[in-house]
Amino acid sequence: MIVVPPAIQRIPWKLIALLSAITGFGILVLYSAAGGSFTPWAMQQTIRFLVFLTVAMVIGRLPIRIFEDFSYIAYIGVLVLLIAVELLGFVGGGSQRWLNLGFMNLQPSELMKVTIVVALARFYAQLPPGNTRSWTALWPALIMIGLPAALVMLQPDLGTALSICIGGVVVMFVAGLPFWWFGSTAIAGAAALPVLFSFLHDYQQKRVLIFLDPESDPLGAGYHISQSKIAIGSGGVGGKGFLNGSQSHLDYLPEGHTDFIFATMAEEWGLIGGLGLLFAFFLLLRWGTRVALKARTRFGQLTAAGLTMTIFFYIAINLMMVMGLAPVVGIPLPLFSYGGSSMLTIMTCVGIMLAIENDSKTGTRRLH
Amino acid sequence: MNTLVVRPTRVRTAGVRQQILLTAQQRLMILMLLFMAAFFLVSMRLLYFAMFDTSSRNGSASTAFLPARADIVDRNGIPLARTIDGYSIRVVPEKLLNNRQYLADELHKIFPDISRAELLAKVSGPRPTYIRRRALPDQVAAVNAIGDVGFDFPREKERLYPQLSLAAHVLGFTDAAGHGVTGAEGAFDSRLIDKATRGEPLALSIDARVQGVLESELGSAVTNLEAIGGAGIILDVHTGEIAAMTSLPTYNPNKLAPDNMAARRNAVTHNLYELGSTFKPLTVAAAIDAGTVTSMARRYDATAPLAIAGFRIRDSHPSNRWLNVPETLIHSSNITTARISDELGRENMEAMFRKLDFNTRPKIDLKERAFPIWPKNWGRLTTMTTGFGHGIAVTPLHLASAYAALVNGGIYRPATITKLGDQAPPKGRRVFKAATSARMRQLLRLIVSDGTGKKAEAPGFRVGGKTGSAEKPGAGGYRRSSVVATFAAAFPMDNPRYVVLVMIDEPKGNAYSSGQRTAGWTAAPVVSKVVMRAGPMLGVFPDESRDVDVSELTPLLWRNGEDE
Repeated sequence: MIVVPPAIQRIPWKLIALLSAITGFGILVLYSAAGGSFTPWAMQQTIRFLVFLTVAMVIGRLPIRIFEDFSYIAYIGVLVLLIAVELLGFVGGGSQRWLNLGFMNLQPSELMKVTIVVALARFYAQLPPGNTRSWTALWPALIMIGLPAALVMLQPDLGTALSICIGGVVVMFVAGLPFWWFGSTAIAGAAALPVLFSFLHDYQQKRVLIFLDPESDPLGAGYHISQSKIAIGSGGVGGKGFLNGSQSHLDYLPEGHTDFIFATMAEEWGLIGGLGLLFAFFLLLRWGTRVALKARTRFGQLTAAGLTMTIFFYIAINLMMVMGLAPVVGIPLPLFSYGGSSMLTIMTCVGIMLAIENDSKTGTRRLH
Repeated sequence: MNTLVVRPTRVRTAGVRQQILLTAQQRLMILMLLFMAAFFLVSMRLLYFAMFDTSSRNGSASTAFLPARADIVDRNGIPLARTIDGYSIRVVPEKLLNNRQYLADELHKIFPDISRAELLAKVSGPRPTYIRRRALPDQVAAVNAIGDVGFDFPREKERLYPQLSLAAHVLGFTDAAGHGVTGAEGAFDSRLIDKATRGEPLALSIDARVQGVLESELGSAVTNLEAIGGAGIILDVHTGEIAAMTSLPTYNPNKLAPDNMAARRNAVTHNLYELGSTFKPLTVAAAIDAGTVTSMARRYDATAPLAIAGFRIRDSHPSNRWLNVPETLIHSSNITTARISDELGRENMEAMFRKLDFNTRPKIDLKERAFPIWPKNWGRLTTMTTGFGHGIAVTPLHLASAYAALVNGGIYRPATITKLGDQAPPKGRRVFKAATSARMRQLLRLIVSDGTGKKAEAPGFRVGGKTGSAEKPGAGGYRRSSVVATFAAAFPMDNPRYVVLVMIDEPKGNAYSSGQRTAGWTAAPVVSKVVMRAGPMLGVFPDESRDVDVSELTPLLWRNGEDE
């Protein structure tokens, strides 16, 4: 029997294989979308993936204590960055979402997706268990979610703001806040939808209306959804074959390499490719949920749940948007779409969850 | 005491902790269920797309290309009217940044056809106005290059008539709001904009090629004869479908000129004329039908003008002898036709006209239809004059439909501008006996082979028809110099397929027509050219070996008389 050194054993090979499978498939699609070329997308995506995977593995080695200790500081730091972006945008005229750091454009709203989850998990881990059903369990969390969400809405970036809210709310949910709080908020939210709708920007309102009836304006703003559905539908069961998608190659499909990459894939790989990708994503989420279930600390449990949900939110909203089940909000498909910031966010999530998993393997459970 | 207080709290806290742990695991499972549900939903949707590929694809494709207004095509599918996204150039004066004088100069360079003063008024006016609707892309680019934010370029649905003025009166045009006003656009407006039907183009009975032939031949005749207008129609005698219909002067529906309202009038269906001698075959047919003309050889007195009720009916080319029925038509004698009418009697004459709908608007699916001028007091004189086409004014379409009935075996049908396709033609109603119709084919053919219509002859096409040169009524009676020259024809006469009617309004007798203004010299040659060019397109091919048998009538013609 070959003796595998413990250092190699400790590397989560299964997870790496899963992440590589998803991203590798994505790179194939990007290669095809560029007309059978590594430039401009496939090559860069490969390099990015390798870099971020390393980052995730390094994060996974860190003791979980570090995240717990720095959670509030990170939260406040990112909040300050969000305000800075807002001020810069105000000074520069027009909306701005990123800070130019010279070597890269930093989107603080992306960082906030992660930090909100970690900070809230810290908050509920510290909260005496007896207080989870009281007012003190609620208002600090609402402020912590509300501030960044409002700042991101101002940018305006509806998708990210929603993602921040969902991540936070899931932490609250798993922390054990009373069920009826969520229920009544959901009902109140549904009732307030028309009011919220009026707060949306014109183009956002249009997108929602077109989601409700995409064929009303097939050549205008409903174009995205119509073309996406055509691309997916034309793939059939087996797809048109690698490098043979006409919708995406002939530029009928807008954003065929970013937000609508699933349609590009489905056209060439058909139902089989689509279901395969869905299964891979499901495995990733199942891993996240298991990490949460097995977590040794309450902080770990809440963080893992929130981060899993953040990844899920990306996947669910993107797929439903591409299939005409949700309005068009600019949310990429995790690991699959071309783009650095979403991959950075997802890989950070994965890294933190790895750290939690490692932590749970090392000691006995001390959930409180 | 202390322990007594603290202990239960600890127990309770531990219980709460246990409960919280349980809750968290429960809720994680709920989340897991949510994931599974979402993936299930997305998979089902994927499956749906994969299974119902064609339906979803066709659905989106057809809605994606559903035009705002249906196209209009000819009977072979050639587009006659389409809807396009046109550019408009609009100015919002309050948003303009540049000097108005400068802008007016720049715009004048791009639109030399609009005066600088007018442009200046537009850019300095209070309200947003259009500088040009349906602008050319180059113009849009040029205005955009001025670089002022006060200009915008809204895309608007524009009706485009790719064949320019071809069949302008049949097609009609739309108003600024996109609703049809005249022609097919007006008559079928609801069909063209209805969401359920506008995906399918509206197929007209018009054949664009035949229409082109008719327009070019009639147009050149009207120009050369310095006439004020003209009308032409080619009608399928068995179905009532109009293969071509034109009215001159015409207009370009793409670019409506507000000062040229008269050109928009469809002379074929909307103008009334006394069509003169072209009525004579109808009278003769009615008389044969009624039995008052017992024999083709029967002669009528044409030696002197016929005086009746203070009027004198005279011939333009007096024969000064007795004429039989074929000769009446060949020489187009008013006197003998009046005698035949008189014998026929008012009842029979009126009944024939009513059966041919000469007392109502012409039967066609257009909105522009004129109500005929029907005689108010129908006396003996009226019967006589209407017999040769005076005292009653109808549209050229009335006459074309009547001629179709005259030659097709006697069945009158309403005309239509829509393609019948596989549908059965309208049943129609009998106006003349089949035997009468057969006789009329011989007579009409004789007029072209031996009579006033010789210039309508098209070798091998077996054209038959009748001239009509009616003086126009003016102040104080008929004016000898203003003539409506009509030639109503049908071909091929041995088995008629199409009626061709050509009318020229006030032709001048010039060198082009050898100084003549009568129909035989003006309208008849147009028919000949149209038949020769359009006949093969309509499926009628020249055949010198075939003709309608007129041998029983030729002995009746007096050969050594005058040759007209």
